[in-house]
Amino acid sequence: MITITINNKEIKLEKPVTVLEAARSAGIKIPTLCWHEQLEKYGGCRLCLVEIAKVPRLQTACTLMAADGMVVRTETEQIANVRRGILEFLLINHPLDCPYCDKAGECELQDLVEKYGPAKGRYKEKKRKVPESLEDPVIVRNMGRCIMCTRCVRMCRGLQGAAAIDVISRGGHSHIEPFSGGKYDCEYCGNCISVCPVGATMSRLHRHGYRPWQMVNETETICPYCGVGCTLIVQVRDDMIKRVVPRIGSVVNNGLLCTRGRFGYEFVGSKERLTKPLIRIAPKLSADSYQLTANLFREATWEEAISLVAKKLSEIKEKYGNSAIAGIASPRCTNEDNYIFQKFMRVALGTNNIDSAARTGFAGAQNFIENIFGQGATANIIPGLSNSDLVFVAGGDPTTVNPILGLQIRACSRNGGNILTIGNFKGIEYCSPQKLAPVLYTEDVLLEGIVTALKNKKGLSGANPKLEAKIKDISTSIEDVKNICKIKEKDFNEFLNILSESTNPSIVIGKETTQSNGASYHLLLLSAINYLINGRIYLLSDRANEQGLLDMGCAPDILPGYRPVSYMEFRRRYESIWKSEIPEKQGLTIFEMIDTARNGSLKAMYVMGENPAYNLPDSKSAESVLKNIEFLVVQDIFLTETGRLADVVLPALSWAEKDGTFTNMERRIQRVRKAVNREGMEDWRIISEIAKNMGEKFNYSNVEDIFNEICKASPLHKNLTYEDIEKGEGIYPYKGEPLRDVMEEIRFQFPGSRSQGSDGKLYLRVERPLFHSGTLSRKSSALMKIYPHAVARINDKTANMLALQNGEMVRVSSKKGSMELPVIIDDMVDSSYVMLTNNFEGKGAFSLLAYQIDPVTKAPIIADMEVSIIKGRLKK
Amino acid sequence: MLSEAAIKELNEIRQKYPDASAALLPALYIAQREFGYLGADAYEAVSNALGVPKAIARGVGTFYAMYKHKPMGRHVVQLCTNVSCMILGAEKLSDFLKNKYGLEPGGTTPDKRFSLVIMECIGACGTAPAMLLNDDFYENLTEKYIEEILEKYK
Amino acid sequence: MEKVLLKNIDNPNSADINEYKRVGGYRSLPKAFEDKPQEITEMVKKSGLRGRGGAGFPVAMKWLFACADTKFPKYLLCNADEGEPGTFKDRPILEKNPHLLIEGMVISGYAIGAQYGYIYLRGEYPGAYHILNRAIAQAYENNLLGDNILGKGIKFHLVVHRGAGAYICGEETALIESLEGNKGQPRMRPPFPVNVGVFAKPTVVNNVETLSNIPLIIEIGGEEYSKIGSPDCPGLKLYCVSGYVEKPGVYELPMGTILRDIIYKHCGGIKDGKNLKAVIPGGITTPVLPPDKIDCPMDFVNMPKHGSMLGSGAVIVMDETVCLVRVCHRTLKFLEHESCGKCTPCREGTGWLRSILERIENGAGVEGDIELLLSVSGNMLGKTFCPLGDGAASVVQNYIKHFRNEFEEHIKNGECKYE
Ligand SMILES: Cc1cc2nc3c(=O)[nH]c(=O)nc-3n(C[C@H](O)[C@H](O)[C@H](O)COP(=O)(O)O)c2cc1C
Ligand code: SF4
Ligand code: FES
Repeated sequence: MITITINNKEIKLEKPVTVLEAARSAGIKIPTLCWHEQLEKYGGCRLCLVEIAKVPRLQTACTLMAADGMVVRTETEQIANVRRGILEFLLINHPLDCPYCDKAGECELQDLVEKYGPAKGRYKEKKRKVPESLEDPVIVRNMGRCIMCTRCVRMCRGLQGAAAIDVISRGGHSHIEPFSGGKYDCEYCGNCISVCPVGATMSRLHRHGYRPWQMVNETETICPYCGVGCTLIVQVRDDMIKRVVPRIGSVVNNGLLCTRGRFGYEFVGSKERLTKPLIRIAPKLSADSYQLTANLFREATWEEAISLVAKKLSEIKEKYGNSAIAGIASPRCTNEDNYIFQKFMRVALGTNNIDSAARTGFAGAQNFIENIFGQGATANIIPGLSNSDLVFVAGGDPTTVNPILGLQIRACSRNGGNILTIGNFKGIEYCSPQKLAPVLYTEDVLLEGIVTALKNKKGLSGANPKLEAKIKDISTSIEDVKNICKIKEKDFNEFLNILSESTNPSIVIGKETTQSNGASYHLLLLSAINYLINGRIYLLSDRANEQGLLDMGCAPDILPGYRPVSYMEFRRRYESIWKSEIPEKQGLTIFEMIDTARNGSLKAMYVMGENPAYNLPDSKSAESVLKNIEFLVVQDIFLTETGRLADVVLPALSWAEKDGTFTNMERRIQRVRKAVNREGMEDWRIISEIAKNMGEKFNYSNVEDIFNEICKASPLHKNLTYEDIEKGEGIYPYKGEPLRDVMEEIRFQFPGSRSQGSDGKLYLRVERPLFHSGTLSRKSSALMKIYPHAVARINDKTANMLALQNGEMVRVSSKKGSMELPVIIDDMVDSSYVMLTNNFEGKGAFSLLAYQIDPVTKAPIIADMEVSIIKGRLKK
Repeated sequence: MLSEAAIKELNEIRQKYPDASAALLPALYIAQREFGYLGADAYEAVSNALGVPKAIARGVGTFYAMYKHKPMGRHVVQLCTNVSCMILGAEKLSDFLKNKYGLEPGGTTPDKRFSLVIMECIGACGTAPAMLLNDDFYENLTEKYIEEILEKYK
Repeated sequence: MEKVLLKNIDNPNSADINEYKRVGGYRSLPKAFEDKPQEITEMVKKSGLRGRGGAGFPVAMKWLFACADTKFPKYLLCNADEGEPGTFKDRPILEKNPHLLIEGMVISGYAIGAQYGYIYLRGEYPGAYHILNRAIAQAYENNLLGDNILGKGIKFHLVVHRGAGAYICGEETALIESLEGNKGQPRMRPPFPVNVGVFAKPTVVNNVETLSNIPLIIEIGGEEYSKIGSPDCPGLKLYCVSGYVEKPGVYELPMGTILRDIIYKHCGGIKDGKNLKAVIPGGITTPVLPPDKIDCPMDFVNMPKHGSMLGSGAVIVMDETVCLVRVCHRTLKFLEHESCGKCTPCREGTGWLRSILERIENGAGVEGDIELLLSVSGNMLGKTFCPLGDGAASVVQNYIKHFRNEFEEHIKNGECKYE
């Protein structure tokens, strides 16, 4: 215990802290500029100088550690003069353009000058003038206003781990720049903007668009993009989102944001938002023919649209039976929306035909892993990653799929942890990971090799006999790893030593694994590794409420609370609460729906907040199925590719316009709050109205009603309330009971016959970029400016072979189709594949893909898709 | 891209330090020699070779006065004008270079023969005024002596 | 007295190992290895040797701190940045007597338990770079560096690291940053380099001249050494004299030699028989002295008592023809150029002071400028992160203190009367 005295106040300190922190803990404010609670100490601005008894020189409170018996004064005449002097120095070259500066009103420099008095105007020399840099579409830099606190640089290099900006030059010429000197070439997290105390680094999105004090409304909510579930503060004026900022202390992201969370909000205010229900008046065209859609629909009233949907669904049910209808739920919608949706499908339509895009990887993988390790096996705390001594990454770049989770991996590395990766991931390159990059499509051999070696090294404990039985069967020699995967023995051994010596490891699994050929086998191998090193698993999730929709029962085989439909006990439970029979038969997965519709026995589909005509692999084929189905309802905020094929389109409110909850990948339930007013109905309300029209009792007045019903019905969420969530108690295993004893035999499927990346052919791989996320991000102009159009990423060898330059147009074709787009030469890409994204209209990578289904995880296998590239465009 | 010889040299230097990033200053010297000055290509080459982020490499490079950020003439006249040299007439020599050769501080002659860099102290104060021409010291300079020296550098 | 640090430097081959050995070099090294490391530190303590880099910190004390830290490996850094304008005392050792430095470093490394040494050499000494590298190669060939020096199982490796033109890198924590491949900006203290230095390991930074004194201490013993020069601050000192003296150059003299004697006895007095106007005794950031204040013993203890500092022992002599406003301005221009930019008062203050001085020198000074100079420098003094900014402020204050009339004249006449 240390006691220090600050301004005659005795302060007792439990642990070593700086004088500044000690003062703050006692409510004594010492002015600071370069100091920031999230960042490394710096001591550069000199504003926090204080007097220490018996020490002749003034000391910076932000760097000086409090010592027992220290006597500190922070408010003397001398110190006030010093602060005035420092502020004067900061202002002599400052443009003093507060009336024009967006930061005015929340500028730390302005506040301090206000407090200590303005400079006396003694500076008669020429000011150092630096023009504002408008070279970047998203971030404006005004180095004239910069006070060189270097917070942004420390943020970028430290917490963000991107090191994309630095101080250029020195002394009075110092200024901050990205590498190019103009435009940024970075992750656009904007965390530099958050920490800038003045108006030197700002977002261009709201430039001159508002003054901070005019912000009428600030709402704390959860990010709509990925499964991390970051807390966002949404600032609104005139019912338009003006800015999104983080909050220091928020649980998952603690003051940090990624590019999508910070800059991706513009879709909410997009002019392309649907406003009125639409009813089809002309025959369906292809989903691409966006321009023509104006004449395909007529606007309708809600009453008309709702009764039409109710009538058509009733008729089809009547005519073809319950199984002729299916529903697709949305990982973008709240738990409440999804709960109502599945209840509607099960109760009003009497079918378990309900699924979602979680089927493309997450759902099956989670199921598989939980079947081995028990429910909740993937519900691990994200910030916990940084305390791991090792993070093992397979199947995708976590920093693009789940950026804030990615930052925790970087933090782990900064804290001295080891990062091991299977493959090359740009976003963790700066962690200098230990990498093993096997030849494309031979990852399973490498994983087998690792399991074999770990097994031999560590032995089996007997704790999980079911899994051990499988592990015993695995035996792959280092020779095979060397020959097949083309990995050096030395590298393999180094990797293995680090892996086996770890005491607190984490494993991160991405979609490349869950969509691989032999996905279930890959997952078995990764589970085996996890078991042998006693780690914990993080399953990447690219949609905000993917976990939530599963927990709400939006799957053909599970009921809310992640309870199997096949168990009578659970069906009975819901039947008694819902007062309706629940079919015993498992429903169709999203892929089975497409197949069944294709063969004609599925007649109607209700798609809520999803875009299967674009987001499913082999999307062209999904599109033609959806085009030909007898009745298609699409409920969305935009007229998506799928919407253009609908018979009835129902406009929904977006994430920013409604209340509810999301469940993130840690299975943390968090409140989504309405930030913006807009006319219209929430997803749950539209569905309830349809259900009522069909004679069902769906009488909910607000989301809390629904949530309370969930927590009454779902054993997992038993007795949970909004209040508990507010208190931060909405974290797995909640108050209810996780699912126990419902584990089945471990089934898996070996990879089928497959290609090998070393065969000289080119394969298609899907890029999952940081700046985009399916259909939403393309309506956000900032993200579109950063990553404006589809590209094909190739390696320089491929480029040389095809004599291609950066930016040249090529035609990429597979047996499924082709598209024209420019190439980018990217050194993170291998010469065995081409990378395309699935984010841009008319240029979705998924349209070139064929797929098979892994029989265990029911996820699509996106591998072995051979493509060709030819230079130039097709002659018209 | 750095030449193979440069990469080899750099790898040798790299071995002299426990961290790759410590080889940054020597690497920037090598890149400057190879590219003539430190531009984006040079920084990217160094960044790739050492694994130091390129923005950081550029931040470090621009901190130090001896790295050049624009093309230089064939020979670099580095004239000291700090106090000991100044009081013995260094600034007049600078004027002389300007008048006689059109060499402005920071500039290069049109024939790319000479560049002039004004230096802070170069440690030749006892024999001031002094300059470094490329890597060679010239001391006790006079206008006439400078003329003779420059004659030797084509 | 016979020269030690500069022994044999008039011999054109003095940098060669055989020449060095011929005049008695590398004899202290085996002698030192006969003692335990602690005994060597003890000897250095007895010698009273203080660092020659400018601050005059007792050498043995620094070594003991580093020895006490249990982290390994430890590093010995030689500060060969010699950036303080007016200073050219390390250069003759580096260029003419490199083996003396190497011998000193091997012994010092042995004393503190450091197996790795780096010489941080200023970029402006390209010649010394090659000479040092050649000398180091020779030392390796002669088994005077390496894993098993002289077969005694002692390991010491030495590397020359070139700086790239930044005065601040002479400051030891900035030097460490720079060696690690960063910008040369001073580090926060604590932790001190002796605990967390280069590559986060215990590190001793000593000046070239400091380390070059070690072989002599081993040779004659600490006690003997302490009898040289000033009792409070003993030893040999290299004084480098430039400006208006008859015989400028580097002089190896006992610590505490009187400044007046250096100028008039050793350097032959003021050039061309002119009058002395001012002397900067220890490099341009040390306080300037008027002619009546030069009867001071040039050592670390006495100079502060006489209103200045020994600094690097770089004596710059100015006669009556020199304009001190101009010198002051040039000094500030230098410090503005060299300010690392980390802390506010130095980054902004040096430039401000320089522009006021520039106006005054150019005849555009106005009344109140002197007060403004004093006030602005006052706002810097004691508030900067490292001594560079403080130095800038005190330079201005000292010129005004001793030569205020010259500033006033400039302002009053609106011109500089020295052409
Ligand atoms: C701004 C500044 C510049 C310095 N420059 C040098 C220098 O060029 N050479 C040097 O040896 N010490 C220089 N020093 C002193 C070093 O910080 C340090 O005290 C010295 O290297 C320690 O070695 P010593 O104890 O042997 O003197 C400088 C200090 C400061 C504050
Ligand atoms: S005083 Fe401040 S700005 Fe100046 S050199 Fe030292 S740390 Fe850098
Ligand atoms: S806040 Fe302490 S120096 Fe800036």
